[in-house]
Amino acid sequence: MAGVIEATERDLMTQTLRRLAEEFDGVHLSKALADFGFGQLLDEAPREAVSALFDALGRTGSMSPVLQDVLLQPLTGLLEDVTGACNIVLPGIGATLSGSLDKDVATLRGLVIGQRPAAVLLAPVATRGSVAWVSVAGPSALATRAVAGLDPALAITEVGAAGVAVAMVSSGEQASALWNAVATAGRRALGYQIVGAVGAMIDLAVEHARNRVQFGRPVGSFQGVRNRLAEAHVACTAAAAALELAWEADDEYLAGMLAKSLAGRSARIAATHCQQVLAGIGFTAEHPFHHYLARALVLDSILGSTAELRRAIGQQLVSARSIPRLVEL
Amino acid sequence: MHVHDFRAGVRAWIHARGDELIAAVGDDSVAAQLDHQRRVQRMLFDAGWMRWGWPKRLGGLGGSPILRAVLGEELTSRALVHTASWSMHEVLGPAAAEFGRPELVEEIFPRLLRGDEFWCQGFSEPEAGSDLGSLRTTAREHGDGWLINGEKLWTSFAQHATRCVVLARTGEPGTRGISAFLVDMDTPGVTASPLRTMADVDEFCSTSFIDVRVPAHRLLGEINAGWRIAQYILSCERGPIFWQRGAWLAHHLGMLVGAAQDAASQTVLGEAYEMLWAFRARSKATQDRIALGDLPGPEASVDKILIAAADQAVFDAARALLPGVIEADDTPLGRAWRREWAYSRAATIYGGTSEIQKDIVATRLLGLPRSA
Repeated sequence: MAGVIEATERDLMTQTLRRLAEEFDGVHLSKALADFGFGQLLDEAPREAVSALFDALGRTGSMSPVLQDVLLQPLTGLLEDVTGACNIVLPGIGATLSGSLDKDVATLRGLVIGQRPAAVLLAPVATRGSVAWVSVAGPSALATRAVAGLDPALAITEVGAAGVAVAMVSSGEQASALWNAVATAGRRALGYQIVGAVGAMIDLAVEHARNRVQFGRPVGSFQGVRNRLAEAHVACTAAAAALELAWEADDEYLAGMLAKSLAGRSARIAATHCQQVLAGIGFTAEHPFHHYLARALVLDSILGSTAELRRAIGQQLVSARSIPRLVEL
Repeated sequence: MHVHDFRAGVRAWIHARGDELIAAVGDDSVAAQLDHQRRVQRMLFDAGWMRWGWPKRLGGLGGSPILRAVLGEELTSRALVHTASWSMHEVLGPAAAEFGRPELVEEIFPRLLRGDEFWCQGFSEPEAGSDLGSLRTTAREHGDGWLINGEKLWTSFAQHATRCVVLARTGEPGTRGISAFLVDMDTPGVTASPLRTMADVDEFCSTSFIDVRVPAHRLLGEINAGWRIAQYILSCERGPIFWQRGAWLAHHLGMLVGAAQDAASQTVLGEAYEMLWAFRARSKATQDRIALGDLPGPEASVDKILIAAADQAVFDAARALLPGVIEADDTPLGRAWRREWAYSRAATIYGGTSEIQKDIVATRLLGLPRSA
C-alpha cells in the first residue's frame, strides 16, 4: 500500500528532518527539503512526512514554506490550470474565512504563513452564505503587511485589500468540501508543530527543574513543580495521541479540529507551567523558552483557537445528534 | 475471532435481545443493579460473548483481551450494565488467572464469568490510602493456612461479593512485606458494613477481618510478592475497564446533545467531548499495546489522569446543560444523573489519586528527582 513506510525507514526520515530543521530555517530549509525529496515524500506518505517535519519544526523553532505545499495538497485537482507557485491566504485570527466575494470583486483579509515567492494567491472567501475559492494574480500589487507581532520569526504576511479583481476557482459544495480538507490538512500540520514546541518547552523546564537547586535540593523534587510539569506532559501526550488518530478517524474533519484544539490546549498549559518552573531565567530574552511559547501560542490562534474550535465541535455534535466514536478497536 | 466480527456479532445479539437487556426503572439500589447485571451476564455467557478474550482453561473461548474491551464498550455505551460493577471481574480476574493456584482458578473462574460469583477488592485501609504500602492488615501463618486480621475501606460491592482479593502484611514493613489472598466472603470473621457515598448509594463498605482462617492454597503468587500483584491489578484497570468507562461517559454525553442549542451550550458540549476524545485517543494506543501482549507500565498513569478529567468534564457539562436536574430533580432520571455526577467527583480519587499519578509521571516519565 502506498503511503506506508517501514518503521526503520521512518525513524531515519524523522532524524534527517529533525537535523535539517535544526540546521536551516525559511527558504534555506525549503531548499534542503527539496534536495531531500520532501515533495515526493509528501505525495507518497503524507502522514509520515507531515508528522515528522512539523514536529521537527516545532522542536527546533524553524519555519518552512512547506506548510503551503501541505495546504495546497487537497487542491491539486483544481490547480492544473494555475501555473507557478501559489500561496494560500488563511483566515485572520478570530475569522472563519479569508474575506468575502461579491460578483467578481473580493475583499481579502487574512494571513499568509510560510510565504514563498508566488505568482498566485488562493483564498477561501464567504459568498452568499457559502464558501468560494478565488485566485488573485500578481499578488505583489495587494496591500500587505509583514507581521512582527508576538513571534516575528514566524514571518507572517497580513493581506488586507478591498475591491480586488479575482477569478473564481471553485464554488458551491465542492468549495466547501475543499476548504474543510485544506483546514484539516493545516490543523494537523500546525498541531504537530505546536506539540513539537510544547515538547521543547517541557524539556527546557524539566532540565531546569533537575539542575536548579533551592533550599538545598533540586526544585524538581517539590510537589508543586512536579505537578505542573506532569500536567504539561499529560496535555502534550493527549494532543499527540489525538494527532495520530486525526489520520484514521472516520470523520477526519472533526478529528482534525479535536487534534488542533487539544494541541492548543497543551500549548496554553505548558506555556503557563513551564514558564513558572523556569521562573526568572525563562523570562529573559537570552533564554530560548520564549521563542517556543510565542510560536505555540500564535499557531494556537491560526485555523481556529481552542475556544473557537470547541464551539465548532459542539455544533457538529448537535447537528449529528450523536457522540461519534471516530475510531474503533 | 476477529475483533470486527466480534463487534458485529455482539451488536446483532444486543439488537435481537432488545428490551430483555434493559434494567427496570424505579429500583436504583446497588442490589438491583447487580441483580440486573447477573442476568445480563448469564445471557452473555450462554451466548458465548462473555467467554471471548479469556483463556480456555478458565472457561473462556480464547482470543485477544481486546474482545473484552469491545464487549464492555457495546454494553456500557448503551447503559445495559453499569460501568462500575461491570469492572470488577476485569479488575480482579486477570490477576487471579495469572497468580492463583491453577486447580482453584480453573474451578471458580467459570462461575465468575457466568455471573454466579462477584468479587471485590480489599486494598485500601483507614490508615493506608495513597500510601498503600503502609497497610496494617496482617496475615499470620496458622496451622497449614493463614489467619487474617484487619480492616479494609472503600471495598466496592463487598456486601454483595462472594470473594475478595485481600492485601495483607506477611513480612517486613513497606511494600516488600505484603501478600495477596483470595478470601471467601462467607468465611467466619468477615463483616462487610456498607457506607453511603455522597450520592446516597451504598456502593462501598468498611470490611473487617477478625481471625479469618484462609487455606494455604488461597495465597496468590508467592509470599511477600503481593505488591507486584497489586501493581498488576492496577495495571489491568487501565485496559478494557477504562475503555468501557469511556463508552459509559460517551453515552451520558450523548444524552446532553439535545440540550445544547445556543453557542455557549455548544462550547460546553464541545469541551467535554474534547476531553473525552483526549482520553479515548490515548487509551486507543494503550489498548492496541495490550492487544500485542504488553502490560501497561507507568505511562498508563497518563490514561488515568485523562479519564478522570474526562469523567468530571462530562458530568460538569451535564450540570451546565441540564439546569436544575442535579440540584433539584427527584424523578428516577434526575436521581440517576445526580448519582453519576456525584460518582464523577471521586474519579480523581479512586484507583490511585491524580496526585499519585502525577508523581509517577514526574519521576518515571519525566525523570525528575523523587519528591522530598
